[in-house]
Order: sequence, then C-alpha cells, then structure tokens
Amino acid sequence: MSPREWLSLVLLIAGAGFYLAGTMGMLRFPDVFCRLHALTKADNLGLLLICSGLAVLAASWQTTALLGIIWLLGLIAASVSAHLIARHALREQQSTRSQSTNIR
Amino acid sequence: MSLAVDLLIAAALIGLAVQVVVGGVLFRAIVLFIVFGLTMALAWARLAAPDLAMAEAAIGAGLTGALMLVAYRRLIEINPDKPARTERRRSVLALPVAILASALVAMIGLAAIGLEPAPGFAGRAVMDELDQTGLGNPITGVLLVFRNLDTLLEIAVLLAAFAAARAVTVPGASPLPLSNRSQSPLVGALLAIIVPMTVLVAAHLLRAGGHAPGGAFQAGAVLAASGVLLALTGKLVPSAETGLLLRLGLLAGLVGFSLVGLIVTGFGLPLLAMPGIWAIYAIETAMMLSIAVALLLLFTGSAGLRRGAD
Amino acid sequence: MIDLVLPGLVVFLLLNLGAGLWRVQRGPTAADRMLSALLFGTTTVAVLLVMAEWMGEPALRNVALLFVMLASVISLAFVGLPREDEES
Repeated sequence: MSPREWLSLVLLIAGAGFYLAGTMGMLRFPDVFCRLHALTKADNLGLLLICSGLAVLAASWQTTALLGIIWLLGLIAASVSAHLIARHALREQQSTRSQSTNIR
Repeated sequence: MSLAVDLLIAAALIGLAVQVVVGGVLFRAIVLFIVFGLTMALAWARLAAPDLAMAEAAIGAGLTGALMLVAYRRLIEINPDKPARTERRRSVLALPVAILASALVAMIGLAAIGLEPAPGFAGRAVMDELDQTGLGNPITGVLLVFRNLDTLLEIAVLLAAFAAARAVTVPGASPLPLSNRSQSPLVGALLAIIVPMTVLVAAHLLRAGGHAPGGAFQAGAVLAASGVLLALTGKLVPSAETGLLLRLGLLAGLVGFSLVGLIVTGFGLPLLAMPGIWAIYAIETAMMLSIAVALLLLFTGSAGLRRGAD
Repeated sequence: MIDLVLPGLVVFLLLNLGAGLWRVQRGPTAADRMLSALLFGTTTVAVLLVMAEWMGEPALRNVALLFVMLASVISLAFVGLPREDEES
C-alpha cells in the first residue's frame, strides 16, 4: 500500500469513529438538546474526515472541489436545521410546562 | 463484503416498509418513510442506477417528505383533539398474504437471475445505435429518441395531473398558508445560498444528461424543490390565479416537444424525430420547466403562486 | 487493501443507521424523531460518497450533492408544524 492509501485509510477510519460517536450520543444522551450537539457536531466532523479521505484517494482536483462543496452544504444544512429544531423543541417544552398538564 | 452491503440495504428496506405501514404513531411513520426514501436511493446506487438515485433524492428529500409533514400539520389543524394515532387493525389474512406475496417475488427473482437477454433485445439495440444520436447517455437516448412518444405522453400526464388536482379543490376557496409566522434570521441566509445553488445544479444536471446520468426530470425536480423551499419560508405564497408565466411554464414541455416533432415532418423526417442534438437540449429545457412548475403547483395545491409579503 | 476498506466502511455506516432507527422508534418527542432523520441524511451522504469511490460511479457524488442541498427542506417543513404534545 502506498503512503497515499495509508493517509486515506487513517482519515476514513477517523471519520467512521466520529460517526460512531455521533450515533452513540444520539442513543445515550438524556434529552433532545444534548442529542442535537452529539449529532450535528460529530457527524459533520465525520463527514469532513470521510470527504478528506476520499479526496486523498481520488487524487483529482475536480472531485476534491465537489467533495468540499458537499461538506460545506452539509455544514450549512446541519447548522440551520439544528437551530430550527432546537428552537421548535424549546418552545414546545415551554408551552408544555406553562400548561403543566402533561407529565412524562 | 459487497454481499453484506446488499443484504443490509435489502433488510432495511423491508423492515422500514413494514414499520411504515404497521406502526401506530403517524408522525413516526412519516419519519420512517423519509428514511425509506434515503435507503431506496442507496439501493438504486448499489444497482448502478444513479439516474434513479438522483430522482429519488430530489423527489424524496425535496418534495414527498415536506408534502407529508405539511399534510400532517393540516390534519392536526382540522381536528386538534384527536390524537394522531391510528388504532391497529390486523386481519387474520395479513400473514398468509404476506408470505405468499414474498414467495411470488422470490420466485420471479430466482427465475430472472439466470436470464440472458435475447439477441434482438431492445436494450442491446439502443446501445448499438446510441452513437448515431450524438448522445452519450443511453437513458436520455431512450427518452427522447427511441421512445419519444412515451416521453411526450408522460409530460401530458403531468399536465393532466395538475388539471385533476385543480378539479378536486373547492373553487374560490382561499389557499391554505404553508409557512409559519415566526422565522429565524438564519433562514434568509440559508435561502440565499441554497436557492441559487439549486438553479446551478439543475442546469448542470440538464447539461450532464446528454452524456452522463441526469436529465430533464432530475433537473425539474430539483427546481421544484427549491420552489418548495421558497413556499415553506413564505417567499412564495399560494394564490387562486395561475399567472401568465406559470401557464407558459406548464405548457412549455408539451407544446415545445409537439411543435418540434411536427415541424420536422415538413423536412421529410418521421414524426417526433430529433433534427439534432440542439433540439434534444431545447426540448429537455422546456420539459424541465414544465416538470418543475407542475410539481411545485401540485405541492402547494393551489392554482398559482405569487411573491410573498416581505 | 483499500478495496476492502471501502465496502467495510459502507457496512459500518449502514449499521450506524440501523442503530439510529432505535431513536426513531423510541422518540419521545417529534424533535427527536426529526433529529434521527437528519442523522440518516448525513450518514446516507457519506455512504453515497464512499460508494462512488468503491464502485467507480462518479455520478453518485451528484446524488450526494442533491441530498445535502435539499436536507434543509424537510427541517423547514417540520418547524412549520404547530407545537403539540407528542406521545411517547
């Protein structure tokens, strides 16, 4: 195996590790706001590492640019979605508390 | 290892499909359906059918998921007291029918595995004659050169679907709003990036359709999805009148395709023959616009759209 | 060696997805379920990118591009929902 493949291997495995961490957080964290952190941060880092690993492997500027755009768009979508969902969940929680009818 | 990938995807598809239908909670079923769409795109990708994976991505992520969530919202608005939970009704026949159906599918699959295409097989003929069309993508070749009448009728069907949707809505009723009032400043920034991006990507897919996976349907679905994004954020508001531009967009595909197809007969070519690669791209562009407008109007369920207040 | 790593990575990411399904089943709130849909979105994008390299099918990168570009449509449709008390 060439050094390029080794580098890509390390990046890909690191990316997979972050995906695993994200999923663990998603399953184990106590409430929706914690889970949001686990998910959006770990997964986007995982996507970055996997994109870098694949870019090293593909060794083409065009592919690298496309992978970069995909990661950036993923980052934008994840941050805006996380913000919107968190706000929605917070307001839902507040309205439940003020009514104080629903006991989980 | 590749067998493990295929088995995982197949198992996920069946499991998700069962859960979508059987699961009691409506919202969960919607989320599972969205996940089913993602898995389906992976299945098309594994079957080396990126055209279908693209269509699934654009339709599943951009249109049907949002459509179901909006429908769910309307359902709650109509009867807020009733919990969104459907009671389970299981028939005794469900299991035997499921087993028999799976056995049938498995038999057809087993029979098809060893099948060799006959020498006169249509797919082979297309691949042999593709060079004459000047196209590199056999799918675009089939859609616009070898089976062009089917494609023309599909565009007509889309127009008919829009007319049918108009026919079942109450005339004169004010269209329901799609967006909520309170909005985050982040949404404007998101739109400023994503909407121009979708236009670029649609143009890229349309151009790529000549030689690589892509084409009018995928490009049109992407454009429609960006329209959905604008409708959900209140930048586009449903209206009761179809504007002139939307009318032109709706008809562009059908009229453009038919006109070119008729005009070429005057030059001694057969009906609907393509006079050149430029005609293919022109018709694809017109069809993309028609597909985008029709899908967007079917999503909003209104006759037309106008610019939002802000 | 790398030809074995890529499908292995796809299997690993798919198993990750399967684990995430538990959160969709469990809930308890609608926001939790929506979050898992987001998780599925990013993981599917990664799977498609790895598949593009593994299967030598560059068009799959365009599929991934479509998914990330349109990922926000579903979350926007979701936050348009009125707040309601979801059952667990």
